[in-house]
Amino acid sequence: MSTSGPSSAGTAEQPIENSTSADGQPPVRTSWWDGRSGLLLSLVMVAFSTYLLVGILTMDVGEGADFPGPKFFPGILMVAGYVLAALLALHYVRTPEYPTETSSRKYRTFTDWSAVLWTAGGFLLFALTLETLGWIIAAALMFWFVAKGFGSRRPIFDVSLALLMSSAVYLAFSIGLGLSLPSGILGGGF
Amino acid sequence: MDSLNLLMEGFSSALTPMNMLWVLVGCLLGTAVGVLPGLGSSMAVALLLPVTFALDPTAAFIMFAGVYFGGMFGDSTMAILMNTPGQASAIASTFEGHKMAKDGRAPQALATAAIGAFIGGMVASVLVVFLAPALADFSANFGPAEFFALALFAFVATSSVVSDSAVKGLAALVIGLGIATVGIDPFSGAERFSFGAPQMFDGISLITVTVAILALGEVFHIASRIRRDPAGKQIASAGRPFLSRAELKEAAPAWARGTAIGLPFGVIPAGGSEIPTFISYDVERRIDRRRKNPKFGKGAIRGLAAPEAAGNATTGTAMGALLALGLPVSATAAIMLAAFQQYGLQPGPLLFDRSPDLVWALLASFFIAMVVLLIINLPFAGLWAKLLLIPAPYLYAGITVFCGLGVYATSGAVFDLLMLLGLGLVGFIMRRHGMPLAPLMIGVVLGPLAETSMRDALLSSNGDYSVFVTGPIPLVLYGLLFIVLAATVRSKVVNRTRQDV
Repeated sequence: MSTSGPSSAGTAEQPIENSTSADGQPPVRTSWWDGRSGLLLSLVMVAFSTYLLVGILTMDVGEGADFPGPKFFPGILMVAGYVLAALLALHYVRTPEYPTETSSRKYRTFTDWSAVLWTAGGFLLFALTLETLGWIIAAALMFWFVAKGFGSRRPIFDVSLALLMSSAVYLAFSIGLGLSLPSGILGGGF
Repeated sequence: MDSLNLLMEGFSSALTPMNMLWVLVGCLLGTAVGVLPGLGSSMAVALLLPVTFALDPTAAFIMFAGVYFGGMFGDSTMAILMNTPGQASAIASTFEGHKMAKDGRAPQALATAAIGAFIGGMVASVLVVFLAPALADFSANFGPAEFFALALFAFVATSSVVSDSAVKGLAALVIGLGIATVGIDPFSGAERFSFGAPQMFDGISLITVTVAILALGEVFHIASRIRRDPAGKQIASAGRPFLSRAELKEAAPAWARGTAIGLPFGVIPAGGSEIPTFISYDVERRIDRRRKNPKFGKGAIRGLAAPEAAGNATTGTAMGALLALGLPVSATAAIMLAAFQQYGLQPGPLLFDRSPDLVWALLASFFIAMVVLLIINLPFAGLWAKLLLIPAPYLYAGITVFCGLGVYATSGAVFDLLMLLGLGLVGFIMRRHGMPLAPLMIGVVLGPLAETSMRDALLSSNGDYSVFVTGPIPLVLYGLLFIVLAATVRSKVVNRTRQDV
């Protein structure tokens, strides 16, 4: 599932021009992809059904399994997934959906991809560095990245706030409630 | 009056200082999250789920109940003051509620909403106390075919009724059901869709899916627009937060009708309180049109009172259906069911026999939660609105940290964090393109029940499919499902033809 995440998002959303004028009417068509970025949903469904298909084909079922075996139910889902992907594609090709642009400015894409990338990237960094850097530093990094993605304009102040926040969580949950959070590089000396 | 005695015992265990504290914490958290724009009670429950494992089950569920109801109360505050509903069930409240606030009657609107939610929730809780045990007894003789019919009902109703497009709803459902099949198959021991990764032998954790879809996906979704959307304007609420006698008299019938409309929807698995709020709003509007002096469109108190009562009445009976049948009707109820399963408890007929202490303490805590919520919402709704002073970047950064904390604390593995990120991005894409999330959640939670009961039924009948339609209960359920679907199709057609009016 996770394969259909950010990489495919970039390619499918790229060609979209600004979406709608303020009164909700479709703007002058600039590209066929206008209002059709929902085809991404169809792509997600194809990817997921293919994941199920490969899983069913490579599944190792023991001898003597009775009729509705372990492949039966996922098989139904897989077929339904492909059918729904086709229906979704048909829907977006026939009736593009234009989101209402509420901002006074016009943007190339409806979604603010740089904000999403800062946020998702911050989380990825957190996941990858958590066990080496430890909770306090990794969580503070993520906090800083997400705050930046959401438009915070005080990077230096944010650093101290992020460290304060992650330390407070560490104290409350690791020392207070006994959840196991990695101490990482800070752990050695203490 | 067996129920009453049991309920009194429930009160005695719920009224301990510790449990009272959890009710209060739950109500405060639920209201706070409900008030914050864009956040609904389902997100609050999702984020709290991993953190509550340090508590004993009774305390955890009492807190969840507070959060669940608190979210409903808090949502309406923002719907009225800022015209930003936190979740779909508060949309109907914005129509007349926000007009009342613009008209300078914000305190009265908040009071109408809080009292309406209180009445709806109270009546529903009383009903649950008396009917849930009977419902549990009735469902005690359900076999695989009955459970399969029930699950199928929930699947089809949530995915087709709630969403604008049945295709999108069904697609979300298929993803949810598919996620539920990952892991070792309990019947045959076959390894399914794990591709040899030991982290996936036990399946994808419900907590990971819940936090990803309902919390992290929402954070990404808000990030994608927050620097572009104009900030909402908040109307200050000042003055007497109580209703005059005339206003009470005006609102009372609407509260009653809203409650009556909301109650049955808690048991119908049609996606929670969104539909009843709209129906009750519509009923009030039709009644209003026949009056000499129609008030709708100018801030009619009835147009706010009815949906609020309906929404909380549905929430209340939905908890009853969850406890007695093990059937979640909304995303939040689905998470509550997941929480029960984490503690090794299976809601449904047997729960009332096996853990009566927990059930009755939980039911008693509904009443306590309602009273607490009325107290903290009626006079202080204006204070809650001050929560908006938290700068958005820090609020959402904090929520993201809690997403990571919850999932890492329960799994202790980086693998789950990456899964969380991937699913969170899927959740974001779904939200961006109007794909409903409730069917996915209900698919993940009820998927195993649907699959095992389907295979049990087929195994016992030697592969004869007619087993699904023998017996009165499945037939009645399929009949009801057909009626629900027919009504949906009809109302969609009617709406389409009326759209230009």
